[in-house]
Amino acid sequence: MVTSVTNLSRSGLYDWMAQRVSAVVLAAYFIFLIGYLVANPGIGYDQWHGLFAHNGMRIFSLLALVALGAHAWVGMWTIATDYLTPMALGKSATAVRFLFQAVCGVAMFAYFVWGVQILWGI
Amino acid sequence: MLYALSKSLGSEEGFADVKATLTSPLAKFVAWGLLSALLYHLVAGVRHMIMDMGIGETLEGGTLGSKIIIAVSAVLIVLAGVWIW
Repeated sequence: MVTSVTNLSRSGLYDWMAQRVSAVVLAAYFIFLIGYLVANPGIGYDQWHGLFAHNGMRIFSLLALVALGAHAWVGMWTIATDYLTPMALGKSATAVRFLFQAVCGVAMFAYFVWGVQILWGI
Repeated sequence: MLYALSKSLGSEEGFADVKATLTSPLAKFVAWGLLSALLYHLVAGVRHMIMDMGIGETLEGGTLGSKIIIAVSAVLIVLAGVWIW
């Protein structure tokens, strides 16, 4: 068994819910964006810029970015606890897993900040 | 992808650059690969949530569900390929 202290929140159920909710948000965002691109073939700069300049789209994009962070965090935690285990790595498992998640966390934070900068910098 | 988004939103030239870059065969192939992985993940995720509701949790239901999502994913991936090329 692995220590559960490295998951996203207080309880497993909360993570379970966070992953489902974020999945729905991401699915909605992805389907909207692909639908928009399919419906508007050969989109030009003006239309593309106009789409992301629209406040609704900005908020939706940031929401998706946050959802992506939560989804990825729980997902990577799940993967890490599957493979980076004492059985595989001995007593250093928890340390390796913590490092792995810290790296994931920093990457997610950096992407989020970058995303905000892009969307709010238009 | 964030870099491409940032560049494409930055200016008309940036948009043209990104567009030119994305039309190369390699870029299209990578885009298709990423899109395929995401489509499969989406379909499998939807199925996973259906199973959360208690549908298709038996052994038979599970294997059937797997076959369905592979078929659906294959169709979507082919469509994505057609759309990209």
